[in-house]
Amino acid sequence: MNASAAIPLSPLLRAEPAQVRGWLQHRFSWLVGVCLLAIVAGAGSYGAVIGSWRDPLQAVYTGIKLPLVILLTTLGNGLINGLLAPLLGLNASFRQSFAVVLMTFAIASAVLGALSPVAWFLVWNTPPLTVQTTLAAPEYSFLQLMLALFVGLAGVLGNVQLLPLLRQWTGTAKQAYQVLLAWLMVNLLLGSQICWILRPFIWEANRPVQFIGADGFQGSFFETIFQAICRLMLS
Amino acid sequence: MNINDPLPPQIPPQAPPVIPPATPRTQNALGDDPAERQPISNFLAAVECVLRHPRRVMFQLRQPGAGKLIGALLFVSIVCSLVYGAVVGSFSGGVQWWAAPVKISGGLLISALICLPSLYIFASLSGAQVRLAELFGLVAGLLTLMTVLLVGFAPVAWIFSQSTNSVAWMGFLHLAFWFISTAFGLRFLSVGFSHAQAKSNAGFNVWVIIFMLVMVQMTTALRPLIGTSDSFLPKTKQFFVAHWGECMDQASKGNGANRD
Repeated sequence: MNASAAIPLSPLLRAEPAQVRGWLQHRFSWLVGVCLLAIVAGAGSYGAVIGSWRDPLQAVYTGIKLPLVILLTTLGNGLINGLLAPLLGLNASFRQSFAVVLMTFAIASAVLGALSPVAWFLVWNTPPLTVQTTLAAPEYSFLQLMLALFVGLAGVLGNVQLLPLLRQWTGTAKQAYQVLLAWLMVNLLLGSQICWILRPFIWEANRPVQFIGADGFQGSFFETIFQAICRLMLS
Repeated sequence: MNINDPLPPQIPPQAPPVIPPATPRTQNALGDDPAERQPISNFLAAVECVLRHPRRVMFQLRQPGAGKLIGALLFVSIVCSLVYGAVVGSFSGGVQWWAAPVKISGGLLISALICLPSLYIFASLSGAQVRLAELFGLVAGLLTLMTVLLVGFAPVAWIFSQSTNSVAWMGFLHLAFWFISTAFGLRFLSVGFSHAQAKSNAGFNVWVIIFMLVMVQMTTALRPLIGTSDSFLPKTKQFFVAHWGECMDQASKGNGANRD
């Protein structure tokens, strides 16, 4: 058994262009399997840590929901990502585009998984949830900020790691950036809304622990942001 | 060299340097690549070519019997616009399940037909050597690329349409998707037009503005596409800017601008 088969995470994280292209051509199923494993384990463990602040059941739910957000975003955007790639200069098939996007998320999830112990330490040091805790409580704001910061950092690392592959594949840096930007935009658009639907990830005030909150299918992430900006500007 | 040598060393005659033939101006002409000469056999191949090998489509549109390809492109456009229309209609449900697909599909085709004569005239005025049938095929390619991309956006649009009640927000989202898809479609048309040896692109650029305006006005002329109404078509005529202004007004007041 070679090293890459024994420890698949390391070559996945290195994402060397020649090796990744080889996987895409000859070991596609293996690559998808490794990516799925990284997403479920990495994002799942991070989600469980974040959810554990509220309740063990919330830990289980968030541990399921965070990988679910990633997988639903990848599936929902699979078609448009595959369509945009050749139009922007990346001569990749649908399944190759899908696998590359999945790899981005897998690397991000691996980063999240690696940050889970740090997150757990921070959660452990955070004042526990009590009946007096409000939405404006500093501990809740801290957890929200931590979730956003760590996810943002992992996302940036995941995308940056695949940039050399895209640059080699497209032939020019400009086209590689265009493809990456287009994928980022559509993934951000759908990913934000799926997060919105599957909330809460940490806690919902005055509600029992539920897989999807009471207002899951009400409103949208961007609408709420827009309304908040309007309120701020008008006040 | 020793001066006592009876004969100087013989230098083999130098062949004159080979000058590579000048690159012909038409090296990148359509059909130079043998792959571009392969006929496009079915609908899926047509979609694949529009996405990955647009030059092959452009070459085939210049060949006799291009009508079949144009028909395939139009068929794909209609099917894809119906699919995206169903996603648009899913926001309100009821009558909109069939009304929105019909309006979107019909609106796109009518917009293209309305603008086709002006494209031909502008192209001719620009000195382009292009037949009306070829332009029709290029516009069909534009519609195909546009609607295929819209289908790509359909899962995203569906997720949002199931989550929000705001017509204004959904209208904005659909317009954003339409704009992105149209931009790629127009890029296809622009590349096709560049092979027509036009002296200037000014006419084409003017036509792009006209085409965009016609399409956005079509969304108002065929309203409602997203919300609900008592009648299939609007009873009053309105300019699209005024209609959008009304929608935004209602959204900011928080009444009337939702699917209910």
